[in-house]
Amino acid sequence: MPGRRSQANRIRSTRIQDVMATDEVRWVAEARRGDRNAFRLLVEAYSRALFALCMRITRDSTMAEDAVQEAFFNAYRHLGDFDGRSSFKTWLHRIAVNAALEQLRRNGKHGVTVSDAGADDDGEDFLASRPDEAPTPDRHALGGEIGRQIEDQLARMSTLERTAFVMRHHEGQSLETIAETLSLNISASKQAIFRAVRKLRGALEPLR
Amino acid sequence: MNTISDNDLILYFYRDGLDAARIGEIDDALFASPDLRARYTRLQQMLHAVDGEPAPEPDAQFSVRVWQRLDAQIAAMQRSQPSTGRRARLLELLHSLLVPRAAFAAACMLLLAISVGFYAGRTTAPQPGEIAQTRANAMATRVLDAYVAEHLRATEGLLLTAANSDDAGLVGNRDLAASLVDSNRLYAQAATRSGNTRLADFLRQLEPVLLELANQSPDTSVQSIDGLRDYLKKTDLLFQVRATQARIDAAGKHST
Repeated sequence: MPGRRSQANRIRSTRIQDVMATDEVRWVAEARRGDRNAFRLLVEAYSRALFALCMRITRDSTMAEDAVQEAFFNAYRHLGDFDGRSSFKTWLHRIAVNAALEQLRRNGKHGVTVSDAGADDDGEDFLASRPDEAPTPDRHALGGEIGRQIEDQLARMSTLERTAFVMRHHEGQSLETIAETLSLNISASKQAIFRAVRKLRGALEPLR
Repeated sequence: MNTISDNDLILYFYRDGLDAARIGEIDDALFASPDLRARYTRLQQMLHAVDGEPAPEPDAQFSVRVWQRLDAQIAAMQRSQPSTGRRARLLELLHSLLVPRAAFAAACMLLLAISVGFYAGRTTAPQPGEIAQTRANAMATRVLDAYVAEHLRATEGLLLTAANSDDAGLVGNRDLAASLVDSNRLYAQAATRSGNTRLADFLRQLEPVLLELANQSPDTSVQSIDGLRDYLKKTDLLFQVRATQARIDAAGKHST
């Protein structure tokens, strides 16, 4: 039964995505012709996801809101440049990443945050040093604590590391897109993600 | 000897940055090595723990608030572009203001038309010559006023954006500002030629600000941008633009 339910949910989810994609194409086309109502529908569809993205990068709700605002305004002004090679969502999220980074720059928070870079950047393997331990009920009970630790580790990352990680892990963007968005080469994008993941290990180790 | 690093496992987890052959090697190694499987499981647990964190959620009114602010921004931006109303049909050429070269051409044509109008009034007027001269002058003035009013509307929008928008907004309006500089010069010349020295002087006053906006670039210093915004806020330039525009509009209504 659960399997059948999960399959039904998947089908429903796929249908919703198909409808969204069709609507998106129509709204984008209408917005490009100057239809503000169509653009409003795009704002309603994507503003919350954009907030989550910008919040993960800026870690500040005011900056995240300003970044979303700016991202939509920039998207509206450059709708004519949207060539449809990527989805509108991908295009919009890339604009939002830059808007979030711009907010950090403006607020003087774009620098590297507290970091023990020496330990994290040594390139040595770290996974082997951790005890092999399956999750237990006790550890599940510590879920809130793990969440706090993850937050702390995300805060320890530099803006670049956090943005690259958010784009790869939460947004599912390719290394190529990350490199293009952050004006890096692929190798530097990989290194930023490696450093971010290394810093995350600290979130779970004290709880084991 | 284990040749698969943690970094390889991270790329493997995301299935990104590795070619198919390397992915195949890691697949085989994971199948063959319990140690590697344990390492990969730890990585998965760690990254899945991140997924377990709830996505940041804005408050319930967030989307409404974003749209309200955005709608106002878009309206301000559109005000900086020529309108398409009944009167604007007369000014269709000026709609090309967003295209610098076309804007320049439109302003040149206007200058030519006004010159010809005055010249025709002076030289080919039928009897009685004075009446024809007056009519020609009035027509030329009305045409100039209509174009200048539209020019001032575009300028007002540009100045509003400059005073309120972000740095990217300033840079994004460079082309518009450059087109307005060209048009502004020609309207100032046309105003001088038609004897409207007050309007000509005011348009010349606008030129340095338009030039400054036309020269914005992503490299422009924050101090320079802030200085421009302070200047706009401290002077009554925006008010003067609106007042001149209102005066021209009112004159147009009286004369029709």
